Amino acid sequence: MLGKQTGRYQALSLAMVMAFAIYLLPAFATDAVAKEAYAGQAFAEEAFAKEVQAEEAAGEGEGEAEIEWGQDVFYKDWEGNPLKGPVSGFPAPELGPEDYNTYEFAPSRMILWMANQQHLYFGSFVLAVPIFCMLIEFVGIRTKESDPIMSAKYDRLAHDLMKVSLTAYSWTAILGGILLFTFITLFPGFFKYMAGIFRPVMHVYALMFLAESGVLYVYYYGWDKMNNDPFLKWIHCSLSVLLNLIGTVLMYLANSWATFMQAPGGIDEQGRFLGNIWHVIHSTLWNPVGVHRILGNIVFGGGIVGAYAAYHYLTAKTEEERAHYDWVCYVAMFICIFGLIPLPFAGYWLMKEVYAFRQQMGITLMGGIMAWLFIIQAVMIGLLFFGANSYLHNGMSRVRGAHRYMKYAKYMILLLIVCFTMWMTPHTIVMTPAELKAMGGAQHPIVGHFGVMSAKNTAVNLMITTTVLCFLLYQKANKKITVPWQTIGNCWLTAIFIGAAANIIFLGVYGYFLPANVRVGLSVPQVTTTLTTLFVGTAINISMFKDSESYGEIQWGTQSKVGTYAIFLLAISFTWLMGLMGYIRSAVRLFWHVTEVVRDNSVDAYTLTIGEAGKMLTFNTLFVWTQFVVVFWVASLTAKKGAQTEPEAVPVPAQQQQ
Amino acid sequence: MNKTFISFIVFVGVLLGFHNVVFPIMDIKEFSWVMNRYVYYLLIPITLIFINIILRLKPPVSLIALMVWVLGFYFYKYVLYPPIPWTLFITYMVMWSIGTFLYVSQDAHTFREFRKPIVKTIIGEYKLARIVVFALLPVLVGWMTYNNIYPAYQEPVELRTVHPAPPATTKVHGKTWTLETARNPYRVDEQDNYKNSFPFLDADKNEYMKNVTQGGSLFFENCHYCHGDQLNGNGMFSHVFNPTPANFIDPGTIAMLRESFIFWRVSKGGPGLPNESTPWSSAMPPWEEHLTTEEIWKIILFEYWYTGWHPRTFDTEESYVGQWEKEGKPAGVH
Repeated sequence: MLGKQTGRYQALSLAMVMAFAIYLLPAFATDAVAKEAYAGQAFAEEAFAKEVQAEEAAGEGEGEAEIEWGQDVFYKDWEGNPLKGPVSGFPAPELGPEDYNTYEFAPSRMILWMANQQHLYFGSFVLAVPIFCMLIEFVGIRTKESDPIMSAKYDRLAHDLMKVSLTAYSWTAILGGILLFTFITLFPGFFKYMAGIFRPVMHVYALMFLAESGVLYVYYYGWDKMNNDPFLKWIHCSLSVLLNLIGTVLMYLANSWATFMQAPGGIDEQGRFLGNIWHVIHSTLWNPVGVHRILGNIVFGGGIVGAYAAYHYLTAKTEEERAHYDWVCYVAMFICIFGLIPLPFAGYWLMKEVYAFRQQMGITLMGGIMAWLFIIQAVMIGLLFFGANSYLHNGMSRVRGAHRYMKYAKYMILLLIVCFTMWMTPHTIVMTPAELKAMGGAQHPIVGHFGVMSAKNTAVNLMITTTVLCFLLYQKANKKITVPWQTIGNCWLTAIFIGAAANIIFLGVYGYFLPANVRVGLSVPQVTTTLTTLFVGTAINISMFKDSESYGEIQWGTQSKVGTYAIFLLAISFTWLMGLMGYIRSAVRLFWHVTEVVRDNSVDAYTLTIGEAGKMLTFNTLFVWTQFVVVFWVASLTAKKGAQTEPEAVPVPAQQQQ
Repeated sequence: MNKTFISFIVFVGVLLGFHNVVFPIMDIKEFSWVMNRYVYYLLIPITLIFINIILRLKPPVSLIALMVWVLGFYFYKYVLYPPIPWTLFITYMVMWSIGTFLYVSQDAHTFREFRKPIVKTIIGEYKLARIVVFALLPVLVGWMTYNNIYPAYQEPVELRTVHPAPPATTKVHGKTWTLETARNPYRVDEQDNYKNSFPFLDADKNEYMKNVTQGGSLFFENCHYCHGDQLNGNGMFSHVFNPTPANFIDPGTIAMLRESFIFWRVSKGGPGLPNESTPWSSAMPPWEEHLTTEEIWKIILFEYWYTGWHPRTFDTEESYVGQWEKEGKPAGVH
């Protein structure tokens, strides 16, 4: 897929499966854990409570103060009653004007929003890049024997990306410092409460940051030294796994603060800590937010690296440069699309959990005051899929032999547009009274059916399946399949995609006849169907490449300009979308700092109009991209200083594999 | 004659012919699987493809793009019925335009072909085209400007929040209900498996159908004037309201909501809505002033029974059926 020999397929497939398994582990774990956790936590809590009771009993004899018990706002025991825990903290403060500080030039909330968003953008980038490097370095090691030139190319790319990441890492830390100071100076009352609850987590977070820095520096500065010895190279690659694990833990710890604010647990109604820090961290949204962010980081990182490479591709002076950056674009987009495909599913899971936590919150998001922002979100997601498909079409068209499949492009585009039209149709349509009368009611008798989740789930699954199909055709574009079972293989592929489409549509239509709580469950088989096309389809496709002949090599450096601009569209759209979804998730708390526990009594406790929110999001997007340009420029200074000799050959794509 | 020009003439001719001759014939009022406007629409591209193949016209990419775009416009503007609001029309056309662009930019060759006449027009190779385009462009801009600034007397559109977030609790007849946990005390079967029974006729069969019957009677005494005797929002008074009364048959109204939400909305009516929902835009009275708590719950029971929808529940919720009998009070009330 990314290289020349068959071995690379195996290497990449293995790497992808590993990555997928690692990053979705919490997701798989959660459902199992969610049920068990319930029991497990309750059990642990009971044991803990007994312990405390014993201490209490012992304490009574010594005349010590009696322990007060509080009821958890979220966790429940075996019988569904609120879980009890020993009160171990102070009640949430009722914040007054003295708890908020302001500057004259801008509202505190806007300053905090900006500081937070910039830190998150950079955090996301520096968490994504090591994932890339881990995969690319792994593929490089696996291809070293079969294709040393290609292997060197992979290694250089991973090393270059780490160099950028190193600069971005310090930048992230600085932005984190700014964010912390903004909290302390502008929202001291709120921060005091959060620090009181999360005290140990914050210290662990700082220590993990130290560990991350240590591993990062050893990983980067030890690159050349560990490059020649095969054993040391594996150790080096293992360091990248460690780096990613620490990074993931860091992110999950930081997520716990945000998820606690949105859906608190481990405290009583007065906001008093009930002695179990795991309950506070592991509140109901912790896992879905974590998985969603990991996938989002991969797409975001892919977008940035892709845009960086696309810029260099468009401004390249030499053929070698063009070829190199065209290939980097391809690698970045490959990883980006890989993250993009499961991202909507993680989003659905998150929304399901939000709804289950508070109906009120779910309605505010999907049907209430935030609903129009969700429509904008739908537009942005559509743009991402259009960008990805446009890149794939343009990339495929320059492959010799692709003419066999290019004729299907227009049908895939038509399907995408029809699905996107369904996906975009709002349930509540903005209209004048005259239009309402002309339509005969608030819902249109035909397109009105597209306004509910059954239609939208169907649309998004079909869009993803179409993207998967496009990707499979891209893979086999220049292959002349020679395996004896090619007809059977092609029949299976056709059957899988037609069957998947039929199943997705059937489940979507069937959903209209089911109760809402059962209907929600239909999204699971729909998603499973889509993922089946991805994994089984890719597996069959790759198996058919054995002993295949090539129609000709890809001429790297010949990607069309439209396809290259699609990468910019994807990167910018995703940055804006990340900001938008972050804002929605955070703003749904409305006038609460911590939902139903700490009320936001500042002058900024209002919901922005759609226009104002849009301006802030656009500003944040422009601002972060300006910083990215600076960071890449800084990183390029060292590259110019110690310019390395280019490997003579350019990478050879999957389509040429024999 | 230039084949491109012939292809263009064919396109215009087919579209005009179909619109003026075939459309009135096929658009009959009675439902038919064959004679309807959507089958009619499908015939247009089929006819165009057929003629182009027969005459071996091979229209260039730019003309195909134009045809595709115009056919999309024609569908959303004239074929889709009832007509869709302007905001939705714009949204759909943006989608269709993006799709058309994706089609012409699918590969470098197609995009070059698409650009060719545009570039030639701009640089002056197509002199007549350039004169026409550059003469029409200012006229088009002027016409759009005129349309924009010409005073319109239509009511402005508004972004109304139809399903606002409910409050955490609501006080009805002196009792405070927690909406997160409040349940319909008359619900016997959560999934409402009583479809074979019929209220009024089967009211004696069991307690549940008796409650549904009472709810139905109350509905027709109080609600059907606006919400309609088929609960589809088309009651006799519905046409004077903006927004129109809720259509309970629609899968996006009560089917998506918990019964406690409906209870809050019915009890408090328009005046009880939060500001985000512009309470002045709802004509529904606060029914707590006219009905008892029990009557409101029974009406809700009937609405779900009649429409066949099931109230929204979540997996994590426990069964609450019969809790009233067990505890002496309905769930969620204190």
